Amino acid sequence: MSHEGHYREAHPLIFVFQHWVNLICMAGLAFSGFVIHGSFYAISMGGARMIHFTLMFVLAVNITSRIILSFWVKDANQLGTREVDTDIKNWLPQKENKHQLLETAKYYLFMRKERVISAKYGALQKIAYLATVPITFFMGYTGFALYGPAQQWPVWGFFAGGISLVGGIMTMRIIHYFGMWVVILFTMVHAYLAAIDGFKAFYGLIFLWRESPGAEEGH
Amino acid sequence: MARAVIDPVTRIEGHLRVEVEVEGGVVKDAWVSGTLYRGMETVLEGRAPADAFYVSQRICGVCPISHGHASTMASEAALGIQIPDGARLVRNIIEGAETLHSHILWFYTLTALDYVDVVSALSANIADTYALAEKAGTSTADFGQVQKRIKTFVEGGQLSIFTNGYWGHPAMKLPAELNLIAVAHYLEALEMQAEAAQIIALMGGKFPHFMTSLPGGTAWMPTEEKLGGILFRWKRVRDWVANTFIPDTLAIAPFYIEAATYGKGCGNFLSWGCFDDASFDPKKRALPRGMIVGGKLEVLEPDVAQVKEYVEHAWYDSPSALNPAQGKTHAKFTSYDTNDRYSWVKAPRLNELPMEVGPLSRMLVAYLDGVPQVKSLIDTTLAALGVAGKPEILVSLLGRIAARNLETLYVADEMGKWIGELVAAVKGGEAKFFTESTATDGEGAGLWEAPRGALGHFISVKGGKIANYQAVTPSTWDLSPRDAAGVRGPMEEALIGAPIADVEKPLEALRIVHSFDP
Amino acid sequence: MAQEMREGIYDLLAARGVSRRDFLKYCGSVAAMLGLSEMAAPQIAAAVEGGAKLQPAVWLDLGLCTGCTESTAQAGNPNVADIVLDLLSINYMETIMAAAGDQAEEAKAKTIEEGGYILIVEGTVMTGEGGNTLRIAGKTGMEVLKEAASKAAAIVAVGSCAVDGGWVRANPNPAGGKGVKDVAVELGFDKVPIINLPTCPVNPEWIVAVVIDVLMLGALENLAVLNLDELGRPKLIFGQTIHDNCPRRGHFENGEFVKQFGTVEEVKQFCLYEVGCKGPQTFTNCPKVRWNRKASWCVESGAPCIGCGNLNWVDNDAPFLKRMPNVGGVRPETIGTVLGGAAAAGLLVHGVASFSSGRAKGAPVETSKAYDKKKGGDK
Ligand code: SF4
Ligand code: SF4
Repeated sequence: MSHEGHYREAHPLIFVFQHWVNLICMAGLAFSGFVIHGSFYAISMGGARMIHFTLMFVLAVNITSRIILSFWVKDANQLGTREVDTDIKNWLPQKENKHQLLETAKYYLFMRKERVISAKYGALQKIAYLATVPITFFMGYTGFALYGPAQQWPVWGFFAGGISLVGGIMTMRIIHYFGMWVVILFTMVHAYLAAIDGFKAFYGLIFLWRESPGAEEGH
Repeated sequence: MARAVIDPVTRIEGHLRVEVEVEGGVVKDAWVSGTLYRGMETVLEGRAPADAFYVSQRICGVCPISHGHASTMASEAALGIQIPDGARLVRNIIEGAETLHSHILWFYTLTALDYVDVVSALSANIADTYALAEKAGTSTADFGQVQKRIKTFVEGGQLSIFTNGYWGHPAMKLPAELNLIAVAHYLEALEMQAEAAQIIALMGGKFPHFMTSLPGGTAWMPTEEKLGGILFRWKRVRDWVANTFIPDTLAIAPFYIEAATYGKGCGNFLSWGCFDDASFDPKKRALPRGMIVGGKLEVLEPDVAQVKEYVEHAWYDSPSALNPAQGKTHAKFTSYDTNDRYSWVKAPRLNELPMEVGPLSRMLVAYLDGVPQVKSLIDTTLAALGVAGKPEILVSLLGRIAARNLETLYVADEMGKWIGELVAAVKGGEAKFFTESTATDGEGAGLWEAPRGALGHFISVKGGKIANYQAVTPSTWDLSPRDAAGVRGPMEEALIGAPIADVEKPLEALRIVHSFDP
Repeated sequence: MAQEMREGIYDLLAARGVSRRDFLKYCGSVAAMLGLSEMAAPQIAAAVEGGAKLQPAVWLDLGLCTGCTESTAQAGNPNVADIVLDLLSINYMETIMAAAGDQAEEAKAKTIEEGGYILIVEGTVMTGEGGNTLRIAGKTGMEVLKEAASKAAAIVAVGSCAVDGGWVRANPNPAGGKGVKDVAVELGFDKVPIINLPTCPVNPEWIVAVVIDVLMLGALENLAVLNLDELGRPKLIFGQTIHDNCPRRGHFENGEFVKQFGTVEEVKQFCLYEVGCKGPQTFTNCPKVRWNRKASWCVESGAPCIGCGNLNWVDNDAPFLKRMPNVGGVRPETIGTVLGGAAAAGLLVHGVASFSSGRAKGAPVETSKAYDKKKGGDK
């Protein structure tokens, strides 16, 4: 029965900030997207679209800078330690991740009792987090493809090619729509797992940058 | 015995092949073959009922309004929707505009070239032409200018759409001056049909293939201002019909009076009726529902449950003798063989009889039903042609043409009333145009009339989606091949007995085919 | 050759009393629609002085409803009579030509033999039942197309049916409908340029625009004049969405929508997006050119655009009164909501299980990897 300590070294302030930005952008994009899709609320379509665009650009910048920073910023590569190393290492396969994927899945499916030895991020977690990057940029691409035709951009061919590849702008719209659902589902599972695995400790750190001692230290 | 084949039959909607056996200059047997299958009914399955309104119009680009309306009415019957009275008026006006458009186009653009010798118009004397127009009571045009235009055109040596026409054919009977009048009006008619089509566009977005008569009513919302534009155009077209179209018909008819002696057809006539009044009772429609059997001039009530479609001579392997409400359509081409299968058209029968549909059927039913305006129109026309009191003469090639042209005037006048009613309703501010519905299941039929004849759409809706869809078009009735018993379709029957002067150029057969507006 | 053809036109127009000045004005209006400047008009007119041959054309009817011909008959300026008498020599056009049967076929055969004609194709290429779903003069429609297409100077596919099969090719495509372009290789006319003019039916003003380009600007010799996109559509006609030029766009931006037909919102001309308007993903200039001599157009009449100018328009745009088409027969909104709901339910169950098993308070962590233990490694 133990929770590792949640120290600030695990999530340096800049990353906590960026996590906030991610959350706000995604929530805002989903909401404004719903407004554009179904115009549920009698609010200005232009306003909704402006929010949608702005947040998309913020998100893109945020994610890109997060990637760049991961090569510079040092943080802990385990929970419960204040020892730091370059962040990017957390995203590459680590020796603790070896043979972990299947066992983690089993754990969450109640097919085993003990949690799996893991690096800061488990194999499943890494894959899921890393997947958000291409998904986000893919959403950007499909979004531009929907918006772009009218704009006569010089790079329009880049999007036109995609549109004819999927068989028309309507298909692109549907892909963009389902892409949003993928992001929503990810967020649901992500928030749930963080909660179930120690609500206070995780949420305190990632949202309020508040440390919590490990369970052993507490006893 | 000689076989004459017309393939393709031109100046029609779609694709048609006609084969006749000629003996001693008279047609002894005939086969009419529809040569195109597109599978509309199958495409519609699984889609939303409102989608059928849009897509089923594409069955026919000349009468899309009627298909749209029949489809929408079928959906409304299936889902139990009663449309508001405002929507009824809007639909009647759109439908009426299509009728004007279609009949004008049919007479001048499609049919007239069977009777009017364009090249002969070159030798017309201009002064005589004006005199003739005045005598015939038809409108004049700048005949000199028209003649000059044809001259430039013919002398250029490139005849465009007039290449290889039946110029100088022995069956062409009009004097040069009348030919010139007809050519001038041919050009005017192109403007008039477009003007009628504009009425549809104003109310329905565009023509062909309009946008607004959705199940529940109409998406178009009239205002007094919008109705002004409609009234203006209606007046122009209506006056032209009264002052040009009808007098032209009466001027040309005497030269082809022998056409009243053949082209009679099967003698059975069906009209589902068109243009609802406020009661929505099909027997009270401006052109009422009814049928005539065996040439006996009395009106009976048709029962749609007695319709069966036979496919023994058509390229389908789906079961034969089905009522369209349960109809199936599965294509299977074998070969073109007049002794076996020879058409993509099914053979619908009512009470096991082939039925002629179209303006002649509608006008006969209306006449016998005692619709006053129709009665007086027909009676005065018969008197003008010197056959007063003999309505049976209408059952002929000439009668079929006359009925269509008279119907144009009748519908034009009725339209004026509907426009007036709509203006009043809009001024009153109470008019409603759409009924919402959330029903998702049911079966229904839309029995209506296209300009060319009786039209039925049959729909079955399950869970908000189309489970089965069938359409029995006017062409299916008129162009039907033989049925299981070998009985000819109405057009096939009408061809029997027609005189053919030149087997190489069977112009007279073409006239009969065209008289059905196929 | 084109020069010679162009020459006669001015005379023909003069013969029917169209003055040079009117003519220039008329050229100007068409040119304006094509996005050329009014400056081009005098040059166009200069090119047609003289007197010679009309450009021959063949209009082929395939699997059609005749709606595109009907639509062409609604052309305004020039009108259909001007087109068929004064601008082109349409030697074959089933729906309006005087001749029928053998005489009609003869006129076509002669034109094909002479070559250099524009081939206008209306209707779907019918490939079903061995091509027999369409038979003309005892041949299949495909054979007829092959004959006419191989010697054409250019092909103009008018209407969505000719462009890509239109509604006929919609699922399950029972009659084997295809577009002209789709069979070009198979029927051996892939070297002939194809100009695509979709929408159902075609808008006649576009045909006129292309014809004028051919006659006045020599588009047959220099296809670049038409500025086609990758699908063979003139960019000046199909380059922008309907939504971008829609007069109701202001209401869209303000969030003012027609939510139900027959309501006061329609009288106020609010946006039709909520009732399924496909304007945002349909590329045509319908709002500018409008229909039936500019009388109106779909959205103006209160009906949402159904995107009839899109490729495979029925499958892509139906149900027409909904924002998006069904996916596998189901509404995308339903799929999304069900997925979201299922995930939430799954997580709830998981959460209950986690709490009741005490896991939520912290589960034991393994001491060494299960995998390694099995392998006997990692002592
Ligand atoms: S009506 Fe259609 S095209 Fe016009 S603004 Fe609304 S969504 Fe766009
Ligand atoms: S507005 Fe839309 S539905 Fe209407 S013609 Fe244009 S593309 Fe087709």
